[in-house]
Amino acid sequence: MRYLLRRALHAAFLLFGVSLLTFLFSALTPGSYFDEMRLNPQIAPATILALRAQYQLDRPLPVRYLHWLTAVAHGELGFSFAYNSPVAPLLWTRARNTLLLTVTAMLLAWLVALPLGIWSAAKFGRAADRIVSSATAALLVVPDLVLALGLLILAVRTGWFPTGGLVSVGFDALSPLQKFRDLVLHMTLPVAALALAALPTLIRHIRASVAEALEAPFIRAAVSHGIPHRKLLFGYALRAAANPLIALFGFSVGTLLSGSLLVEVVMSWPGLGPLLLEAILARDLYVVLGGVLFSMIFLVAGNLFADVLLFWADPRIRIEASPK
Amino acid sequence: MRISRNFTNWLVFLVVLHVIIAAAGFFAPYDPVEQDRDHPYLPPMHIHMMDAQAHFHFRPFFYPVRLREGSFDQYEEDTAHAVPLHFFTHAAPYRLLGIPSRLHLFGAADARVYLLGSDAYGRDQLSRILYGGQISLLAGLLGAAVTLFLGALIGMAAGYYGGWRDDILMRIAELFLALPWLYLLFALRAFLPLAVSPIQAFLLVVIVIGMVGWARPARLVRGVVLSVKERDFVRAARGFGASDFYLLRRHIFPETASVLLTQAAILVPQFVLAEMTLSFLGLGVPEPMSSWGNLLATLQQYNVLVSYWWMYLPALAIVPFFLGYLSLASALRHRIGAYKIGETLETEDNSSWSRT
Amino acid sequence: MQPLLKVENLVKHYAPRNSRSSSREHLTALDGVSLSIAPQTTLALVGESGSGKSTLALCIACLEPPTSGSIWFEGIDVAALNKNSQRQLRPQIQLVFQDPAASLNPRWTALDLITEPLVIQRRFSKAERTLRALKLLDRVGLPRKLAARRADELSGGQKQRLAIARALALGPKLLVLDEALSALDCSVQAQISNLLLDLQSSLGLTYLFITHDFAMAAHVADQIAVMHRGRIVESGPTETILHKPSHRTTRSLLAATPRPLEPQHSHALVNA
Repeated sequence: MRYLLRRALHAAFLLFGVSLLTFLFSALTPGSYFDEMRLNPQIAPATILALRAQYQLDRPLPVRYLHWLTAVAHGELGFSFAYNSPVAPLLWTRARNTLLLTVTAMLLAWLVALPLGIWSAAKFGRAADRIVSSATAALLVVPDLVLALGLLILAVRTGWFPTGGLVSVGFDALSPLQKFRDLVLHMTLPVAALALAALPTLIRHIRASVAEALEAPFIRAAVSHGIPHRKLLFGYALRAAANPLIALFGFSVGTLLSGSLLVEVVMSWPGLGPLLLEAILARDLYVVLGGVLFSMIFLVAGNLFADVLLFWADPRIRIEASPK
Repeated sequence: MRISRNFTNWLVFLVVLHVIIAAAGFFAPYDPVEQDRDHPYLPPMHIHMMDAQAHFHFRPFFYPVRLREGSFDQYEEDTAHAVPLHFFTHAAPYRLLGIPSRLHLFGAADARVYLLGSDAYGRDQLSRILYGGQISLLAGLLGAAVTLFLGALIGMAAGYYGGWRDDILMRIAELFLALPWLYLLFALRAFLPLAVSPIQAFLLVVIVIGMVGWARPARLVRGVVLSVKERDFVRAARGFGASDFYLLRRHIFPETASVLLTQAAILVPQFVLAEMTLSFLGLGVPEPMSSWGNLLATLQQYNVLVSYWWMYLPALAIVPFFLGYLSLASALRHRIGAYKIGETLETEDNSSWSRT
Repeated sequence: MQPLLKVENLVKHYAPRNSRSSSREHLTALDGVSLSIAPQTTLALVGESGSGKSTLALCIACLEPPTSGSIWFEGIDVAALNKNSQRQLRPQIQLVFQDPAASLNPRWTALDLITEPLVIQRRFSKAERTLRALKLLDRVGLPRKLAARRADELSGGQKQRLAIARALALGPKLLVLDEALSALDCSVQAQISNLLLDLQSSLGLTYLFITHDFAMAAHVADQIAVMHRGRIVESGPTETILHKPSHRTTRSLLAATPRPLEPQHSHALVNA
């Protein structure tokens, strides 16, 4: 238990550190949202001053940070200059869209990678393994930007998939089944891009850890006891290979909010990514802070989740962690 | 270091690629900023050896194009005039490593040959891709140099001195590792002044990229330092009265070389990709300087996406580099024998999706 | 006559690496060790693994600071010196490690390795250093052509000779040999121990010879000290310790030493 508490504290430290860094960063760099406005002769300087006072931009840095921190503790994430609305609901909708994409992609990727990786490890060095390895190597060599753009062009040339957005125009007029179909069609390309980008590394890790487990002396001992291969693989080796895979799974969960930025921008998916990019460019401070915080929470939660899973799954960690 | 044949093969492959890009002036038929407003968005031209009368010519040739009647972006070949390709021609001047030259690998006399098509201003895409590679590759290489320098320095300091210094440095490294790197990249770049000259923009991109990725190499270097500093030959040197600096320089740093090299092979393509991503989104190298990223930026316009598929080709330019560098990294790692799970998790992510 | 080396009540505690244990717990490697060595003699320090022998070696060679106690070398307390003075004293006390594969940087050439102490102490010109290195190679019985070879190309015995040559480069008075022969083959051990004895008489060296092998100790040492769990439990002249051991540790160590075959047994083996 104390072990988990320490990990949780560690996570809190990370969150705190990152929020501080982000805040310092955005506050210290030149330019603010209102610079654009200043250039506009139609807006009186007095108005700008009033707006700045309203957003407390004229207060000293530590004050602003503390103020923001306390607000966050109350669940208030600030106000967006650009959208002229509170940050939290804005983030929620976008985050929901992102999660729709990334959760699907992650499930898909793991569902494909696990059997492929395990099978590849079981047939280590033989033809089947070599084919899978070459395929993953080929995929690995195509970076996500290239992949996403390529898929986009494919969509455009074939007309099979829509080229952007969450849903089509006139979505509300469709029947529930049609709505579902429409959503799926829009999701296919971004999900494909994300899953394909994640697949090679995933397969490699799974293959490597299962292969390493199969090399272990205790497996050889089991073989000499006459235990059938299937039981060996699934009953013994997988359990030994589980640790790094659980850690990997935790990492994957952690990147659910932050890993899809590029794909979302390229495929015009209204998720957290494009919002953040926009906000960064427009210096929309609170949106940036809120967005980064959101993603960090996921990241940190993902790591913590992995820690908890490992703690539960691996008795060695429990023993090491218990008070002597 | 013993070199394996696999390693040398891939090294040669990479060197050839880099030479081609470095000598972009020679391999490119035209100057990348040279416009030809009469031929916007030209698709890639066909090179023929057999003409319309089924005669075979040893010298390849092409037909100049003209706009089809009544269309504003459809072209057709003018089969009446065959323009031959000449090799080792003299055309637009350029500088190769500071030496001025006018020699180009190929070119044509009366008309322009667009092997990979043209863009909105009629600029030759092949030339732009080759020259753009110079910027993107340089950004990647310099960025990797900055990151490895920072990482090595911090890793050695943390590993060698230990104690509270180590704790603090590693905590900061953890913070940097925890941040999604793409966000960090954008934030760093976007919060710095946006409207700067191309040279400044390039330098800014390099510095930003360099400062994002130091944490992983630093951790790896620290690991090596921790294990090396307890070795007997280091103790022996200390027994002769060696200073800390001597130990680091003569014994410890050389041991980190293999880790740093492997990291270099992994980081360079990632950083080239980072530059491409930044430029693609408008945060990197601006026009008229071409980089693979800003060449792709036109794809964000819907009409380009639909009708002008050859504008995607710059994206493929990076693939052979990824292949070369990642294979090199693999060859290096097999030689070091470090294919353990812990290390692969540390060193292998190369997409923004699987990277934390 | 003043002893060359005198260790008085040396204590060495190690802080636990495991941060979860309470800060009060520490590992005691040396629990009040005292010994002395007369000039140009050999003291063998015998003990089993974990008795603290290597820690003692490191402290004497100024590679680990003791927790308390003093180490007198020619009347100077080396443990109390500052770093600079220690550096000046280092040439006098040199350490030869157990595993030459670990104590010699495998990538370096023999020449670089032998001249390293001279380089660090900034003595002589490059040419002079090379000359001295070659002479040292002669002294330890290594052919001069090995100078250009990398350390990992040499055999175990050659490596250890190289390590000894390196240790002699600065002209030390005291040589601490930490299980220097234990990693070598038996025949090689005999050769190297004879080399050490030769060097002692020709160069006037004093040895602290650390080993777990009583037979070896008997062969080379004038005095023997027996160590157990961080303390010296018995010490005295070699003959006395061998034939009239008093402490039970000494007795059990002696009993464990393999003895050469008795005449009737070897006869039986030959006829079988």
